[in-house]
Amino acid sequence: MGDMLTQLQDSVDQLADRFIACFYYLERHHDLETFGPNDRIPDLKSEQPKEVDSLSPEVFQAGQLELARDLIVQEQQIEYIISNLPGLENSERDQEQLIKELEEELKTAEAQRLEAVKEKDEVLLKLDQVLRGIRRN
Amino acid sequence: MDNLEEDSSKVTALYPDPPPFWNAFTPENIARFDALRQDFADKHGLDADADTDTIVRIPDVPDDLIYLQPPAEPIDSKWRLFSEPQTLDEELQSLETAGILRLGPTSETDRDGRHVDRAFELKRLAKSMLLNFLELVGVMSQDPSHGLEKVQDLKTLFLNFHHILNEYRPHQAREQLIQLMQDQLDSKRAETAAIRGVVDKAKRALEGLGSMEMSPVEPIGASASSSTRSSGAAAAANGVLAPHTLNGAAHDAKDEVPYWDRESEGWAMVDTDFE
Repeated sequence: MGDMLTQLQDSVDQLADRFIACFYYLERHHDLETFGPNDRIPDLKSEQPKEVDSLSPEVFQAGQLELARDLIVQEQQIEYIISNLPGLENSERDQEQLIKELEEELKTAEAQRLEAVKEKDEVLLKLDQVLRGIRRN
Repeated sequence: MDNLEEDSSKVTALYPDPPPFWNAFTPENIARFDALRQDFADKHGLDADADTDTIVRIPDVPDDLIYLQPPAEPIDSKWRLFSEPQTLDEELQSLETAGILRLGPTSETDRDGRHVDRAFELKRLAKSMLLNFLELVGVMSQDPSHGLEKVQDLKTLFLNFHHILNEYRPHQAREQLIQLMQDQLDSKRAETAAIRGVVDKAKRALEGLGSMEMSPVEPIGASASSSTRSSGAAAAANGVLAPHTLNGAAHDAKDEVPYWDRESEGWAMVDTDFE
């Protein structure tokens, strides 16, 4: 069963991380456009650190697609974990009832076990006697 | 020079000195405190051995032993640790007190409530997150100055998700306990069944032996030789087909008679030892 809740928590945190990763990707790799006819893209000198590392439209779109797919997969994973949370159909009262029943059953099972062990010891003793009798004869 | 180094190390030490009371925990002091506790237990008719784990508070401890007695529980069940208020019963802070908008219905109080609703709520939140992110990206591409609102929405969604998730934790703990008990029960039953099986087998074997023992009891020594002799005779009966085994069996039987005599003498001695 494991700790499904922690797993779920991690998945949600990861989803948030992916959101941020998406923004980083968009911000870092988008193309430069002009808004009006008077705008122009400044020709940055090569030694200046680039603010935007533009990718070709195809690569950029492929990256976007991959990130979007990751987001959806992550969300599906979260839903899957939610569906598999333990004991969704039990209420707290049910659980208490179940725990009490199990406690009783454990007690009887333990009693039965001890009885069996006792019986085993008796049979062992008997077997021992018989074996000794055989040796003696 | 040495002094100087020591001083400078004091200043740059990563951790502060331990609190002064560690000096009080000398072996003599511990022994004295144990004696005190023993006295106190005897006087008040308490079983000291049984109470070593439970906290017995002794009034009027001498001043130099005061640190050996653990402090009493806080009366109002509150204390401060690293300047953070702490309480004895840990409670999950509700969303309202944390100043966060609650998106789902309040569901903590009903004991009979099933958690299917809660799972449904979580799924809804997860979907909302995705949708809100999409909206956020859209807003940011149009007008980044309006993005903050959406970020706030997302934050509320995440916090709500975590809150519902944490509400579920006690439930999961109980569920795990049930699982554990079930496993224990299963293993106990399996063990009992295994023991029973072996016992039955042993009983059947004993019964088999019992029917064999029906043959008349002969005096010690004679029975051993007679049994080997009879087996030899049996071999002789079959021996028409295998003369070699007949010879071997006869040979063995001759050798075995003194061996069995020795053996039965040895067992007789062991038996007298036991009696």
